[in-house]
Order: sequence, then C-alpha cells, then structure tokens
Amino acid sequence: MLRVEGLSHAFRNGTETTTVLRDINFQVRQGEIVALLGSSGSGKSTLLNLMAGLMKPTEGDIYISDHNIVKMNENQLSEFRRKHIGFIFQAYELIANLTVRENVELPLVFQSVSPSIRKQKALSLLEQVGIPEKAELFPSQLSGGQQQRVSIARSLITEPSVIFADEPTGNLDTKTEEEILAILKRLNSMMKTTFVIVTHEREVAAQTQHIISLRDGYLITDRDPSDATPLAEVTTG
Amino acid sequence: MRIGDLTRLSWDQVRRRKVVTALCAAGLSIGCAAIILALSIGESAQKYIETEMNSFFKMDEITVTANEGVSTGRNQGGQASSGNPAVGDDSKDRGKLTDQKLAIMKNMKHVTAVAPFQQINYMEMSTTDNRKSYVEVIGTDLNMLEAFDKPFMNGGPSDLIGTIVLNYGATLGLADAEARDKLIEQLSRNPYDSTLVEQYEKMNRMPASLFQRQVQFLGYLNDGKAIRTSQLRVTGVLKKPKGVSENAVAYDKKAYVSLETAQMMRQELNMGRGGSADEASYNSVIVKVDSQENVEQVERQIKKLTLNTQTNLQQKERLAEQFSIIKAVALGGGVFILIIASISIVVAMTMSTYQRRRQIGIMKVLGANLAQIRNMFIIEAALLGLLGGLLGILFSYWIVWGINGLIQSMSGGGQDAVIIFVPMMAIPVGMAFAILTGVISGIYPAVSASRTDALTAIRRD
Repeated sequence: MLRVEGLSHAFRNGTETTTVLRDINFQVRQGEIVALLGSSGSGKSTLLNLMAGLMKPTEGDIYISDHNIVKMNENQLSEFRRKHIGFIFQAYELIANLTVRENVELPLVFQSVSPSIRKQKALSLLEQVGIPEKAELFPSQLSGGQQQRVSIARSLITEPSVIFADEPTGNLDTKTEEEILAILKRLNSMMKTTFVIVTHEREVAAQTQHIISLRDGYLITDRDPSDATPLAEVTTG
Repeated sequence: MRIGDLTRLSWDQVRRRKVVTALCAAGLSIGCAAIILALSIGESAQKYIETEMNSFFKMDEITVTANEGVSTGRNQGGQASSGNPAVGDDSKDRGKLTDQKLAIMKNMKHVTAVAPFQQINYMEMSTTDNRKSYVEVIGTDLNMLEAFDKPFMNGGPSDLIGTIVLNYGATLGLADAEARDKLIEQLSRNPYDSTLVEQYEKMNRMPASLFQRQVQFLGYLNDGKAIRTSQLRVTGVLKKPKGVSENAVAYDKKAYVSLETAQMMRQELNMGRGGSADEASYNSVIVKVDSQENVEQVERQIKKLTLNTQTNLQQKERLAEQFSIIKAVALGGGVFILIIASISIVVAMTMSTYQRRRQIGIMKVLGANLAQIRNMFIIEAALLGLLGGLLGILFSYWIVWGINGLIQSMSGGGQDAVIIFVPMMAIPVGMAFAILTGVISGIYPAVSASRTDALTAIRRD
C-alpha cells in the first residue's frame, strides 16, 4: 500500500548540506497502524512530510497505492492528497471560524461534494469519534481531546487510503492520549484505513502493529507484524 | 469547488476580518462614490443647461425669416406665383415669407404648428388702477399659442381686435408706480440693504389678477411726448411654464396680440411697419416640429422655399461636445481615486494573506489546489468590492443630498439652484468599477496566497 524505496533527503543551507534521511526503504500494508518512532532530529517528521507529498525528496521514490508521488506536480499532488491522504496534526489545525461540522466537511468542499452528502458524512463521523453533540460548536468551545477527535473525523471524511498523524497525542494528557489511540485503533479495525503515526513516545508506538524506528536519518528497525523481535527490544532501541 | 462554498468561505473571512474589510471597503467606497459623483454632477449640469436652453431656445422650433438676398422682379418662383389674390405680388420676390409659404410649411411632414411671432416692442403696460410693468408685446396668431406649448390658465384667444393674452410672468410684479419709484430710489441709495432687496424681489413676484381686465400700453413719439394705446381687454392668461424658476418667470413678461391688433397698436403709437406695407408677408415665423430629431429634415424642406432658417441644434451639439469632455475628465478623476484606493486594498489583502498563511497551508494539505485558494481570495476581493460599491452608492447619495442642501441654502431657497441628481446609469457603472477594482486589486494577494508553501505554513516554531 505504501512503499518507500531508496529515500534520501538533504537540506541545503548556503554551501552546507545537511542530510536528514539516508537510503530509507520500507513498506506498509493496507490497514496497518504504523508508528514512525524517533527522537527529535531523527528525521521522522521529514519522512512524514515526504510521504505526504509536502516535500520532494533528494533521491528515491514513494508509492502510495502504486502511484509514485515523487513524480507528481503540485496540482497532481493536491488532487492525490484530496482523494488518498488524510492528515491529523499535533495542534489539531481546525479552522476557527468554521463550526465543528464544517471543519469535518472541509476536505469534501474541495471535492465539490454536495452539502447534504457532506453533512450526513460529517455527522456520522462525529458520532464515530464520540462527539455528535458538538457538531454546531466552534473549535474554541472544545477541549484539546475533543478538537483532536474533530481532526480525526476530518481526516477520515474523504475515505483516504492512508492517514498521516503527526504526534497526534503530543498535546494531550495521558488519559486523553489513551482515548485518542483507542479511537484510532477502533476506526482502523472498522475501516481498514492505514494509519502512519509519527511519535517520539515509545508508549504510543507500543500500541501499534508496525514500528519503524529512525535515528540520525537512518532506519534502524522495521518491525512489522510478522517480525518475531520482541516489541520491548524495538521500543527501547 | 462549488461557487456557493467559495462565496461562503470568502464571506466568512470578510465578516471575520473587520479591520481589513473596513479598510478595503472604505477605499473602494470613496472611489465608487467619486465615480458616481463625477457622473452625477456631469449629467445633472448637462440636464440643467439643456432644460434652461430648451426653455430659452426651444430646440424643436425653427425660426424662418424672409430671404432678403433673393433679387426681386423675376417671375419664375412656382409657389409664389399662384393665382391667390391674397398673395398678390409675391412673384416679385421669391424670398418673401408669404401666406402661401406658411400654408406649405403647415402641411409639411413632422410640422405641428406654424405661426408668425413678430416682436413689436418692449412697452410699459398699465392697468386701470395705475399699476405698471414692462412687457414684450408680440404679434401672432393667438389661436396657435397652445400649439406652441403655451397653454391657458384663464380664458383663451379671442378673434376680436383689441384683445390681448398675457403670459404668467406679465401678471407678476405689477406695482403702484409711485410705490415702485420710491422703492427704486431707496435701493439706488442703499443697494446692499437686504431688506430693500427682499422687498423689491417680493414686489416683482407679486401676482395680479388681470383676466378680463383692461390694460394700456405707453409709447413715445419722436419729440419725446408720451402716447397711449386704446384699452385692450385681457381675454387669456397663460399657465406658468414648467421647469422654469420663479425668478425666470417673473422676468419673462410677454403680451400676445393678434396681427390685426398689433397693426392697430402700431398705428396708435405711430410706429409704422418697418418699411414694408405688404400685409400678406411676414418678417419671421416659427415652425414647431414634432421632435428634435426631425428638425433638420424639416429645415431642409423649408430652405427649398427660398427662406432663411435658424435652429438651436448647433448649440445643443456644442454643449454635448463640451459636456462629453467634462464628463470624461470627471470620470477620469473618479477612476484615479479608485486606483489610489486599490493600493490600500492590495496592501490590506496582502497583509491579510500573510496573517492567514497557516490556514491556507492547512487547506492545501487538506486538498485545496492553487486555483481554489486563488479563487477564494478573488471572490473575497469581489465581495469587498461589492461592499465598497454599496457603501459608495450610499455615500454618493449623502454627498449629493449635502451638496443640494448647500446649493439651496446658498441660493436662499430659490428654485434657480442646480439640483444634482444621481442618474440611474451611474449606479451600475460605479458598482462595476468598485467590483472590478476589488477583483483586480485582489489578484496579486490571491496569487501570492495560492503560492503559499503548505509545509512552511503549517510548521510550528
């Protein structure tokens, strides 16, 4: 479903070049929850941005549902993101002047879906994330956990192949973190949507089926569900 | 993306960003109001001058005079040499304005009326109770007055000799001779005394009921001796003309008499006929045409009768030419203000784009493409233009109302003041300019917004 081949990326700052990712290769199956685990500066966020088509790699290819997104231009990428990719941000990134329902509907607005269908889908997703009664409130009237639920509902509304979540529990307390992870796992099993979660927390990674660990731009472990390596070894690595 | 969604999202921003909206709408409204005002002042002034010109010059009338340049004694003019005994020696002078030519003109297509209008003189008119005023006496066919837009307020024309028809102005300002002389003397001593001026104006506008009353005219002989006509009975008073101010009416004093009465008055006052004793020909006649558009065509036909013609169309063309220049300059001024205003929009919207780059980034990550982001900003700019346009229309009405009030107060509440009106055509023009300026000004910020790098925008420091 998601395949990364020979991916390298370097930032150029004047005459200096900093390589942040070096020859990364891995693949993710449809319906998996994958954790991209790494400490600050490991290159995990860069990898996520590359996989989401927000950056172009210096080298290598990224295939999502057999489409090489590295070869796409900006408009093709917009189109592709709109149909195949969902996003969950650490800081939720809801539009303040839109209601919760309108925020959830937003990706469908860009697809010219009719308002009645949008509304129906948004309300159904808000129910699935447990906040149907908040539909007509504004984001500022919700708690952090509730806002993240809205963000999850928004990422799912286009029924994407893959959802990239950048530190989705980074701004939340432990209890809310558990609730959010539980929602993600439930939706994953229900909808068979692939989730790629970037995290620096081993506890979060431990709850996923597939962990890819990065350190200083190198992929150090790729423990997929078929791997017999004990999870504890990977997460403590 | 649906147009409804685009508009809703853009309108949300317009509503939410009150400072930017206020700045942009204010700039656009000033520009829009400037355009509407420029058009209004130009159009109103043109209308005013045209109305004044129409009231003085009568654009649908042709003044026909005898063609004195044509030599006499040739018997070859077809029309003039008819067997009509009334015409008599017309064949001797083809350029004469005869009854026969009058009849031909009356039958011309588009001609609604033909009548001689012969000015006799400006004379002092006095009533039986010795109230006096100066009027212009005109000899004409009294039965044709109504056909020349001179409807009667009282009475009507009479075929009897010794009857007279007065226009509305001639019934105003008839004052006791002694009182008038006294007031004029006082005024000459204190010309800036506002009470005296007011008193004099009031006297000039004072109406008198002259219908069925007797009036007399005063003339002077060569030796300076005063001589009076016999009493003339007022059989009709004309209505006050429409669209003419009180002042203009008060100074337009005319008395119409039949050609026979005019002849009688001339004899009584020993005035003669100005060298012509031929009763079947006229010095000048006025031809009324059904519309201004047909004046030229009728004029051409009249010229074929070896007569001189004079119309006021040339004045109108000259005026239209002058006003088209004035309007173009005024419109240019309005557009210039709008261009200046557009700079504020570009600045305000670019600032707004910068402040919203994070939101733009999120939208791009969620799948909005370049065109969708750009269109959102352009529609936002168009909405600002619409708001600015609506405000501009409101402002222009207020300003016009203010200017009219000022003109009225400066003219002492008289009706002479130029009343500025907002022509209907100015509103869509002003609105279109405002929206267009909004859209054009919004292009740069919109393109700049659409080029926002999503990743840079959503990255948190």
